[in-house]
Amino acid sequence: MNEADKSFVLPPALVTHADLARALRELEAIENDLEAQRVRTREKEGAHYRLPSMSRMLSDTLESNNVELGDDQARMGLMTVMRHLKDHAPILHLTFASDADPASLRKLTEWVRGTLHPQALLAIGLQPSLVGGVYVRTPNHVHDFSLRAHLQEKEGIMVRELEKALKGAPQ
Amino acid sequence: MTIEWLAFILGALAAVFLGFIWVIISVNRLQNGGGKKGKDGKKSVNDLDKAYSDIAEEDVNHLFNKEFREELRNRGRLRFEKVVDENAMFLKQDLDMTISQLNEYMKEQISSKLDNEFAEYAKAMKEAQELTLAILKKTADEAEAQRQSLNEGLQKSVAAHEAGLLKAFEMNMAAIVEHYVLEALGDQFDLKQQLPYIIEQMEANKQAMMEDMRL
Repeated sequence: MNEADKSFVLPPALVTHADLARALRELEAIENDLEAQRVRTREKEGAHYRLPSMSRMLSDTLESNNVELGDDQARMGLMTVMRHLKDHAPILHLTFASDADPASLRKLTEWVRGTLHPQALLAIGLQPSLVGGVYVRTPNHVHDFSLRAHLQEKEGIMVRELEKALKGAPQ
Repeated sequence: MTIEWLAFILGALAAVFLGFIWVIISVNRLQNGGGKKGKDGKKSVNDLDKAYSDIAEEDVNHLFNKEFREELRNRGRLRFEKVVDENAMFLKQDLDMTISQLNEYMKEQISSKLDNEFAEYAKAMKEAQELTLAILKKTADEAEAQRQSLNEGLQKSVAAHEAGLLKAFEMNMAAIVEHYVLEALGDQFDLKQQLPYIIEQMEANKQAMMEDMRL
C-alpha cells in the first residue's frame, strides 16, 4: 500500500465493499461521460464540460479526499486508489441479529476506522438466531459477541440453578 | 301221614302174602300125608290146589277190587300231589333261600366291588386333585416368578428410562432454556440498543482485531 492509498479517506457513508464498488462504478461512469464530452468538443476552443450529477456517497468521497471532479489528474488518482482498495482493503464481517440501521452502521464504521483500520470496509450480515450482539469475522479470526454465545458461555450456571430447583422439587 | 298209609298198605300186603304162604304150606303137608292113597289122591290134591288157587285169586280179586284200586289210586294221586306240593314248597323255600342268599351274596359282591371301585375312584380323584393342585401351584409359582421378573425388569426399565430422561433433560435443559430465550427475545433488540454493548465488546478485543486487520 503506497502513500496515496494510506492517505485515502473513506467517508462514513461508504461502509461496505459493495458501497465502494458502487462508488467506483459511478466514478468510472463519470469518467467515461467526461471522456465522451471531451472527444465531442475536442475541436472547439473554450468548450465547457457538463459535470454529471452524482450520489451522496461519491460526493462525500470526493469531499473527504479534497478531490475536484473536474480535476482529471486527481480524479484518475482517486479512481486508482479506489480500485486498489476495492481489491485489497481489509474487510470486517459483522453479522447482527436484526437489521442494522444506517445511524448505527455509521457509528460502528467510525469506530472501526478510528480504532482498527482507517480504510476498513464492512460486510453486513443478518442472523436472527444470534438474538443480540454481533458476530465479528476478521480476515483470520472470528469473535462471537452475540447473546447466544453469551448464554452458551453461562450455560453451566443455568444447569446448576436448574439442578438445584429439580432437587428441591417434590418427587 | 303218607308214610303211615304206605306202611299200612305194605303191612296189609305182607299179611296177605304171609297168609297165602301159610295156605300153600298147609296144602303141601296135606299132600305129603295123603301119599298113600294113590293116583286118585294126587288128582284130588291137584284139584284142591287149583281150587285153592282159584279161591286165592278170587280173594285177591275180592280184596283188590275196582273200588279198592280206585281208592288206592286216588290216595296215591292225593299223596303224590301232596308230595309234589310239599316238594314244590320245599323247592320254593330252597329257591327263596337260595335267591335270598344269592341276593345277599350279590349285594355283598356288588357292595365290595362298588366299595373297591369307589375307593379306587376316590384314590384316583385324590391323586388327580393333588396333581391338579401341584400343577396349579407350579403354575402360580411360575406366574409369580414371571411377575416378579417382569416387575423387576419393568422397574429397571422405568428407572433406566427415568435416568435417561433426567440425563437428557439435564443435558438439554440448558439448550431448551436457551432456545426459549432466543425465541422470546429474538426480535426484541434493535441494533441501536445493542450498540454500546457491541462497541464495548469490540473495544475489549480491539488489539487482536487490529493485528488481524493489519495483515
